[in-house]
Amino acid sequence: MIEVLAQLSRGPVFLAGEMLECGIVFTNPLSATSTSASSEMLAWASAQIHCQFHSSESRVALPPSDDSKHDVQAANETVFVPNRGERGQCILSTPPKILFCDLRLDPGESKSYSYCETLPVDGPPSFRGQSVKYVYKLTIGCQRVNSPIKLLRVPFRVLVLHGLKDYQFPQDEVVAPSNPFLEEEEGVKKDSRLADLATELLMAATSRRSLHMYNISNTRGKVGKFGIFKTVYKIGEDILGTFNFSEGDIPCLQYSVSLQTEESIQEEFQRRHGQPVSYSTHARHQESCLHTARSSFSLPVPLSSTPGFTTNIVSLKWRLHFEFVTSRKLGEAHTVPENQSETITWTGVEQIEVDTFSWDLPIKVLPTNPVLASYVSQFSSTNSITI
Amino acid sequence: MYFLSGWPKRLRCPLETLEQPLHIQTDPQRVFFAVLAPSQLSIWYSRPSVLIVSYKELSKPASQFGPYKQAEWRPDSTMIAVSTANGYILFFDIPSSRDKYLYEPVYPKGSPHVKGTPRYKEEQCAPLLNLEMKKVLDLQASITSLQSMLEDLLVATADGLLHLIHWDGMTNGRKAINLSTVPFSVDLQSSRAGSFLGFEDIHIRDMEYCATLDGFAAVFNDGRVGFITPISSRLIAEQLRGVWAQDVFDGTCVAVNNKYRLMAFGCANGSVQVYTIDNSTGAMQLSHKLELTPKQYPDIWNKTGPVKLMRWSPDNCVVMVTWECGGLSLWSVFGAQLICTLGGDFAYLSDGTKKDPLKISSMSWGSEGYHLWVIDGNCSLNAGCDIDTKNEAHQLGILQFQFIKSALTANTCMSNQEQVLLQGEDRLYLNCGDATQAQNPRSASARSDHKPIRERGPFLEGSLDSQGLSTLLGHRHWHVVQIHSTYLESNWPIRFSAIDKLGQNVAVVGKFGFAHYSLLTKKWKLFGNITQEQNMIVTGGIAWWNDFIVLACYNLSDRQEELRIYLRTSNLDNAFAHVTKVQAETLLLSVFRDIVILFRADCSICLYSIERQPDGPNPTASIQVLQEVSMSRYIPHPFLVVSVTLTSVRTETGITLKMPQQACEAESIMLNLAGQLIMVQRDRSGPQIREKDSSPNQRKLLPFCAPVVLAQSVENVWTTCRANKQKRHLLEALWLSCGGSGMKVWLPLFPRDHRKPHSFLSRRIMLPFHINIYPLAVLFEDALVLGAVNDTVLYDCLYTHSSARQHLEVLFPFCIVERTSQIYLHHILRQLLVRNLGEQALLLAHSCATLPYFPHVLELMLHEVLEEEATSREPIPDPLLPTVAKFITEFPLFLQTVVHCARKTEYALWNYLFAAVGNPKDLFEECLMAQDLDTAASYLIILQNMEVPAVSRQHATLLFNTALEQGKWDLCRHMIRFLKAIGSGESETPPPTPTTQEPSSTGGFEFFRHRSISLSQSAENLPANKFNLQKTLSMPSGPSGKRWSKDSDCAENMYIDMMLWRHARRLLEEIRLKDLGCFAAQLGFELIGWLCKERARAARVEDFVIALKRLHKDFLWPFPVIPAFSVNSPFKNGKYKTAVGEQLLKSQSADSFLNVEMDMGVSSAPQSHSWLSTINSSQREMDTVSSHGPHMQDAFLSPLLNKGDECSIGSATDLTETSSIVDGDWTMVDENISTLSLTQSELEHISLELASKGPHKSQVQLRYLLHIFMEAGCLDWCIIIGLILKESSIINQVFIIMQSSDADGELWQNIRTGLHAVDRWASTDCPGYKPFLNVIKPQLQKLSEISEEQVQPEAFQPVNPCKVTEQASPRAEESRSLTCHSTSPQSDSGSSSVSRHEEDMSGAEEEDPLQEGSYDCTVS
Repeated sequence: MIEVLAQLSRGPVFLAGEMLECGIVFTNPLSATSTSASSEMLAWASAQIHCQFHSSESRVALPPSDDSKHDVQAANETVFVPNRGERGQCILSTPPKILFCDLRLDPGESKSYSYCETLPVDGPPSFRGQSVKYVYKLTIGCQRVNSPIKLLRVPFRVLVLHGLKDYQFPQDEVVAPSNPFLEEEEGVKKDSRLADLATELLMAATSRRSLHMYNISNTRGKVGKFGIFKTVYKIGEDILGTFNFSEGDIPCLQYSVSLQTEESIQEEFQRRHGQPVSYSTHARHQESCLHTARSSFSLPVPLSSTPGFTTNIVSLKWRLHFEFVTSRKLGEAHTVPENQSETITWTGVEQIEVDTFSWDLPIKVLPTNPVLASYVSQFSSTNSITI
Repeated sequence: MYFLSGWPKRLRCPLETLEQPLHIQTDPQRVFFAVLAPSQLSIWYSRPSVLIVSYKELSKPASQFGPYKQAEWRPDSTMIAVSTANGYILFFDIPSSRDKYLYEPVYPKGSPHVKGTPRYKEEQCAPLLNLEMKKVLDLQASITSLQSMLEDLLVATADGLLHLIHWDGMTNGRKAINLSTVPFSVDLQSSRAGSFLGFEDIHIRDMEYCATLDGFAAVFNDGRVGFITPISSRLIAEQLRGVWAQDVFDGTCVAVNNKYRLMAFGCANGSVQVYTIDNSTGAMQLSHKLELTPKQYPDIWNKTGPVKLMRWSPDNCVVMVTWECGGLSLWSVFGAQLICTLGGDFAYLSDGTKKDPLKISSMSWGSEGYHLWVIDGNCSLNAGCDIDTKNEAHQLGILQFQFIKSALTANTCMSNQEQVLLQGEDRLYLNCGDATQAQNPRSASARSDHKPIRERGPFLEGSLDSQGLSTLLGHRHWHVVQIHSTYLESNWPIRFSAIDKLGQNVAVVGKFGFAHYSLLTKKWKLFGNITQEQNMIVTGGIAWWNDFIVLACYNLSDRQEELRIYLRTSNLDNAFAHVTKVQAETLLLSVFRDIVILFRADCSICLYSIERQPDGPNPTASIQVLQEVSMSRYIPHPFLVVSVTLTSVRTETGITLKMPQQACEAESIMLNLAGQLIMVQRDRSGPQIREKDSSPNQRKLLPFCAPVVLAQSVENVWTTCRANKQKRHLLEALWLSCGGSGMKVWLPLFPRDHRKPHSFLSRRIMLPFHINIYPLAVLFEDALVLGAVNDTVLYDCLYTHSSARQHLEVLFPFCIVERTSQIYLHHILRQLLVRNLGEQALLLAHSCATLPYFPHVLELMLHEVLEEEATSREPIPDPLLPTVAKFITEFPLFLQTVVHCARKTEYALWNYLFAAVGNPKDLFEECLMAQDLDTAASYLIILQNMEVPAVSRQHATLLFNTALEQGKWDLCRHMIRFLKAIGSGESETPPPTPTTQEPSSTGGFEFFRHRSISLSQSAENLPANKFNLQKTLSMPSGPSGKRWSKDSDCAENMYIDMMLWRHARRLLEEIRLKDLGCFAAQLGFELIGWLCKERARAARVEDFVIALKRLHKDFLWPFPVIPAFSVNSPFKNGKYKTAVGEQLLKSQSADSFLNVEMDMGVSSAPQSHSWLSTINSSQREMDTVSSHGPHMQDAFLSPLLNKGDECSIGSATDLTETSSIVDGDWTMVDENISTLSLTQSELEHISLELASKGPHKSQVQLRYLLHIFMEAGCLDWCIIIGLILKESSIINQVFIIMQSSDADGELWQNIRTGLHAVDRWASTDCPGYKPFLNVIKPQLQKLSEISEEQVQPEAFQPVNPCKVTEQASPRAEESRSLTCHSTSPQSDSGSSSVSRHEEDMSGAEEEDPLQEGSYDCTVS
């Protein structure tokens, strides 16, 4: 028995273009019955990253793929196919790297290997939508002699910051030292520079605040004012908005704000022409506001959600979806005369005839620092199998 | 704890009225709010916040009654009493129309919004209420205070009377007590000596009834405060007794805390004095004060005016205080300040202008403390002048502030207190990351580490754990979980929440039922059957036990108290629950290991064992009663119990050291009784059954001892049920948070070894310490406290219109809650040292020495003690600093700690510090001895400030030499700067980049200046793979040259140069060429010039064999081996060419051979990462082939030819190229396997070729050195490098130079003997060299002959003409290549490619051409 343990040392979230490092430990566990004769052999192990694409049959019409041969592959095939047995198609894969050949482990012995690979900068982000899924996995395949290949899959999440790949680090070549005794670890530098650059770009894109005010009115008149301080957010941030109903003519009984994503299939891939886009709600605030003058809400953009993106098949956009329940009557001021002749008890009405209407405000949602996103990832950064 | 969140919400009144509200009072259930205006009574509903009914008085009776003042609700919320200014009390009935609701939205037909749920109205609409004035009562004196008390209404009037009015029969139930008849004293014991109030016009200004103390806290009109209690159960005049607080004379208002039995008296000076009643004497005892400190609030701390109003939160955990001048301040029950709006962003706009503080005329907490309803006093003042817009007029002065509170305030269960969980009205805040982190320890570094993973060893769970943790603590993100709206709508407000141990599941409890959420699946689970949900009311809190949710509830349908256990993974349904009946209402619930602890309303504690029943598809948990302990003797009122937990803490720790397994037993009950922490230990004094033969059933019989009070003013308690032998101090300690007085730890003391404890050593010690945050969780192993703190963000700058002044976003900053954490270990260590418990301090510190912030702890401790003692005005009789210093010497970090501390304190304190820790000179030398050069460098700065320049220079020299020796280049550069700075005596910092500064400093001779500049320039600025000599040559005498002349008289430069030369000489003499190369490159040392100078001295090779061996070793270059056949196979050299040739044909056939080679040779190092990795992987592949035999050969060679010309240069043992191949086993398979077929012999040749070459980097370095030596004329070294590279062309070139130049015969002799020695050595020890030596033998012999007849060497100089032309034109490029070509034909035929390499090198290094070098030499 050999235990294979794979661990993504930095956590399971990466930015496209970053270097992924995975530590893989092969252990022959020491047990009471093991003797020196019970050492174990592995013929080889190899690792590869791939991105698996899967789409809903009912919504997405894909051109017939020639990729189907993998699905029918027999289990005892000796070729390392990382996405074997998975639904959908592999749209992206890095070259496989062999970890070792002919590994022999004595009882209690373990060997560690480190797998490093730069994630493709132009791949799609990890995404689980209603019509389309993009899933990234690192697959470690290993095989005993005369046995089928065993696969250990390490799922991870990829965030894509569009525009990042356009930055080519122009100084790269210039700063390289020419004195051979002055060599530096360029790889590390570049990698951290990518993350730094991404953080900087994100910062620049999301830190500026300015007030955007919107008058909310319907056919009957003015309901109130809505204010929002920015329209570009990182995942993990809170969206703040304020309402001012004190200047409205029409009483508003209730409002709700939903943070939604809109997943639409590009026209050429739609199963039916004009099929509706699918929405999913990530956070929602609802409030009764009949006798409210000013109110505000704060909606968290979940760290686990996918920032907006577009591929040739699908596009994901974010929006705030508002719904208002407003009275059909104008809100008349109930005046209380100063010198009335009898005591007045004012009571609210039991029923109000209402209208509902909605409004959408598109916003932009960008990725965040992948280390931060790792903290709430549903993926465990350690995976293991026993073979 | 409570934190302010977001902006407040402002309500608006649907009625148009000019009367502004002035008083707000919530009903006992906190569902309705009565709002008083001068002649108007309105009732608002809490959720939704809407006006239900409003009553407007006629003007005539209104003028008779006077304006409304205060309102009080009858406990059942069916009546309101309103007091008026003229001494009337108006009683209003509130008849409710059952099942009638207000503001029900009627959607148009066909709308999808029509709600079908039967409870919709109840949940979403306000109930219909009415207001009817029922009765008017004239008390004929102005009413100062109204207080509802059970069935009575207690009214204090200005004539000194207390009226007791029955809610029902108002007329006949009326009684009046004259205050002057109540005897008052300082305590209840000396009652007979009690005095009466004495004078006539004394009356109560404010009072509040405290049920758990059974009496009134009262403030009298003269500012005195007291407590009035009935002796018997009846409240009649003759039976009343009063107690004074002796030192309060300016009381203004009072608020009582029923749970903690506290009376808070607001004073005219702005402070709040919180009193409690001494249980034994009945006297009033000051508990603590709430005061703004001048440090935190320098502007306002003494200008707040009298305390105006105080309100305890519904759970009695916090009190809100406001002053006459306005502002809100929030304090925890025992006085930790949480929020104050008189400072910071609350008081100032973003442009710095001061805002008017919010004036509060009345306030009231909403349900569960999520809201504070506040009547805005500013609003009523401004009402007159602000009627410009009609709309603003009916903007009501009611604000709702929103709060987030810690889950600990309501649910004090212990099992999960290593997480911070905050609950808001509709969402939960979790400290994200820590939980998953606990599961998956991950390394801290965000950037990928390129060290081989093997060096890190297997994943050490423990060590990485704390490291990862510390990085997590740095970030402040919350994980926000919105509570499921379906559950929230029907069960608002959330009362309890709980998180499991790993922080992956949370459960919330609202009005009915409960719901839970998994952070992993991000899904809520609600009751499938809503009736089941609505039939249970959770009473005592909720807790997680593994995968189970444990809760105590009241079953509405069966009308019984129950203890229930639900499985998380199954559907939420009573069918999967385990239900146990409980005798009385459960007030508190907690879980310790496998024991559930209930505290019931009958004051007894019941312990249950909980056990998982694995059978069946849905595992359940079963529960059994273990033990029941009645506490009614000790607990006056069950409501007073704040928390009950079981812990493993016990007093006799001496035993536990021997038997640590016992430490985890449920040893004692910790009971927080109104802030008093009581420990009830198991009684082991009786006859004991040995653990071995006792079954669990017998163990439960172990009785409990009498309770012991451990501490006062306790807000929260933390213990853990985990055990860790390494950190027993921390894990077995009991942590307390005590509000304003900080935290306390009840630390176990262990005798060292297994000796008997000293008799004088107590077994535990209570140590108080201060932290700056409000603690919410204790991480035991990590010696950390987690907390949260309010922060604010200003948005006012975005509103530029002046009309926007009214905006709440302008008036208030946006409030957010931030996570914080704090280390506290230094406080504890220091306390132990103060108490002469150094041994314990050492034990504790050693157990934590692996924590990443442990050095910081030591530093903090030293720093704090130093600051305190060194700045103290009076002499300290028994200073602690020497003890602390001695303590720190116990740790290897001593030297660092001291110097870091010194550098963070001001210079004036240094003498005091070093008097305690030792002479900095000695410490410096210790650092040197310990090889800790960076720390030594830090001491140097200390020395520089404390000693004369000569001393610091001496030490600096010492350090400089050591740094040179160890190759600490950064430090060397700093030291050079430092030495210069002290030499010149200037404070001006030298140029920041050492490389630009070096040329001037090293240019000891005018002649070498140009050369050194060109060298350093090329190293600095030139792209490696571009052939650009122009740049270097155009820079010969730039500004640096001028600087040199300016500094030329500076002796320091000379001094430094001397040291550099000396070091270089030593390196050369010790044949440390690699070190020499690094040294020169890093410090910009001008190697060529120096070598020229040393050519005949240190640069001479004494022993060729030793030098060769040493080079092999230093550059990881393998010794050559003899292939099995055909040593001189042409393929050996040809292979290299083949690859090149391919490349040429493909892409660069137009170029000259020379250029191609240059590109190849130089561009290898800096390349894009992916490309490099594939290339190297393919090389790796090569390696595998050679070791695994030929059967796989054809799979791997295609990348070699497809992708790069690089492969031939790389090598199998290269450790530096990319991380993916650091391990020898790393290989890579290219998917595109092409079919290049090589014969086996060819393959073996290739692998052999590779095996005989060293790493690529070494090769480049060797060639670089070769060039340097060549240029400097150190030809013997050139020979050695030529040998190691096995390139006969190099040897040839040397020979040619030798012939051409006036090389002295001694050198020639040396080379010849050296080569002979090598030959001898090769014959005996390293036959692999033999073939190569044979190749060069003919030349050697030829040369010997020539040298023999070397009569006129000048006569034969074939290269000279070229040299001359070159000298004439600085653009030497073309001519140089010409020269090289001209040399080529003279070398033997096999070496043409090698000579190309030579040129390639010269191109790469941007060196001046060879000929110029020789020219220089002749001049010199």
